[in-house]
Amino acid sequence: MAGMTVSTTSHDGALTRRAVLRPLRPLLLLAGGLLALLVVGLLTLKMGAVSLTWSEVFKGLTTDSDPLARNIVWQIRFPRLIDGMLIGAALGVAGALLQGVTRNPLADPTILGVTAAAGLASAAAIVANPQIPQWGIAAACAGGGLAGAGILYFIAYRGSVSPVRLALAGVALSALFGAAIVGLLSSSRTFLQTSLGFLAGGLYGSEWRDLRAMTPYLVPGFLGAILLSGRLNVLALGDDVASGLGVMTDRTRLAILAVVGLLTAAAVATAGLVSFVGLVCPHLARYTVGGDNRVLIPVSALYGALLVSSADLAAKLLISPSELPMGIITAGVGAPFLLYLVRFRE
Amino acid sequence: MRLSVQSLSLSYGSRKVVNDVTFDVEAGEMVSIVGPNGSGKSTLLRGMSRLQKPSSGRVLLGDNDIRTIGARVVARHLAILPQSPDGGSDLTVRELVFRGRFPHQGLMQRITPADVVAVDWAMEAADVVVLAERTIGSLSGGERQRAWIALALAQQPRVLLLDEPTSFLDISHQVEVMHLLRRLNREGMTVVSVLHDLILAGRFSDRVIALSQGEIAFDGHPVEVLEPVGLERVFGVAMMVLRDPETGMPIPLPRPDPELCPVAHVEP
Repeated sequence: MAGMTVSTTSHDGALTRRAVLRPLRPLLLLAGGLLALLVVGLLTLKMGAVSLTWSEVFKGLTTDSDPLARNIVWQIRFPRLIDGMLIGAALGVAGALLQGVTRNPLADPTILGVTAAAGLASAAAIVANPQIPQWGIAAACAGGGLAGAGILYFIAYRGSVSPVRLALAGVALSALFGAAIVGLLSSSRTFLQTSLGFLAGGLYGSEWRDLRAMTPYLVPGFLGAILLSGRLNVLALGDDVASGLGVMTDRTRLAILAVVGLLTAAAVATAGLVSFVGLVCPHLARYTVGGDNRVLIPVSALYGALLVSSADLAAKLLISPSELPMGIITAGVGAPFLLYLVRFRE
Repeated sequence: MRLSVQSLSLSYGSRKVVNDVTFDVEAGEMVSIVGPNGSGKSTLLRGMSRLQKPSSGRVLLGDNDIRTIGARVVARHLAILPQSPDGGSDLTVRELVFRGRFPHQGLMQRITPADVVAVDWAMEAADVVVLAERTIGSLSGGERQRAWIALALAQQPRVLLLDEPTSFLDISHQVEVMHLLRRLNREGMTVVSVLHDLILAGRFSDRVIALSQGEIAFDGHPVEVLEPVGLERVFGVAMMVLRDPETGMPIPLPRPDPELCPVAHVEP
């Protein structure tokens, strides 16, 4: 007892310092993250197959005076940058929601098969009608994403399901849908460079119309995620406790999975099967700001935006003037990072 | 606030676990629900909150059916602590207790001065103020149970339901938790606990309700109902009841089997 008292007092200073810093930390992180995002954004606008001067970037972004700069910056690089940031944010949020709702640190739209479900719908739409407009692809993805999320709900919540069984079911679904995607693409005549970009996940050729096509799914997705974050906090205490606090647990879970379906679909419609963003970003966010979903979800969005936009920049620069699919970079960075987490944390 | 259980039946699938049970819990009572394993006592408690939907019958909180007035409205008046909850182990005690404010908060769970007052009161009442910055995972069993009780108290309930609040606790922590519940009860809170331990039920309740095969076997003041014949019928084992020399309250015990239980040779 005496020993305990001593150790408590010696920690008192550290505790108060932590208690004071705690509310500030997310704000500092937010400021730092936004700054990093700005830097990556500016570099993305400047660098690429053609390197521009800062004044050309500025002119291209704000005026029509330099047609070449205008075309490169405003029609190609800027929309692609915005697309990348939004996709990253969407995947980060989807991952955070899934990890929260399944109480499983392995959950991620890719691992649980939601990405592949959206991708299958997208591939089927493209093969059925190669001339399909981007909004049609996005709509197909949304259908596929919601269906994938629905299957997940069905599998995960018929009675109680262990994290391991959930992950196994996800792996099986993912493999099944993935095989169907490759089968569809390779049996059609559209199996080209673009298919490879779609399978690995990339932003090659993404532009304003992609943004317009995914906005109807991103807006309710992000709004839903923010509105559900408090309930997710309560759900994390277990179903009985959450019910006792007045949360309709099944309805909330269904709503959360629908939001995951929409966000994942938006990302897949524009960038194909990008993996690891939804897995890594929430872990990083949890490590830096803790488990409160009201903070964790926005921070996961920020990390996702940062990861995808930097990966896309790297994808364009590494083998310039050609480019890599961006998903290769996110996997290349994300997988070792996850291995590090698995080995050295917890 | 009275809690009325009216012809309540609860089932798992086709198996009826609680069968047409009726009783009222008056405001300010301290009630223990006892019974053998599988008698339906935990299920009854779940049905008295909104954790389980009745297959027939209803539960009134004041004048309102708890299934019709909305989950959050119920949660502002009635708190339920399930048996050994396992979530939240990476939260600090204060963070956990704040989540008890959920039913009182708006869409974005913005923290108001009323929330802070309620959380401070709950942490003080459950005696977890010194543990505020510790994580749930780092607490001992008794401390953890007090933290969860603080979460329920942060709801500022008039009625508190607890499912085996003392299970897995050692004897000093059991007493600690029961004293806490009794103090809350003295301050006006209605407390209904499912208890495994008949000695605690006999010592701390105003009223003991025994369930047997989903029906009420007896219901009354512990002095009246905790007697050998009734207990034997409910628990299926020969019982004897001693009197606590200090309080006069009953201490129910299983009768020793003369062949298996050693006998002390007391010096005359």
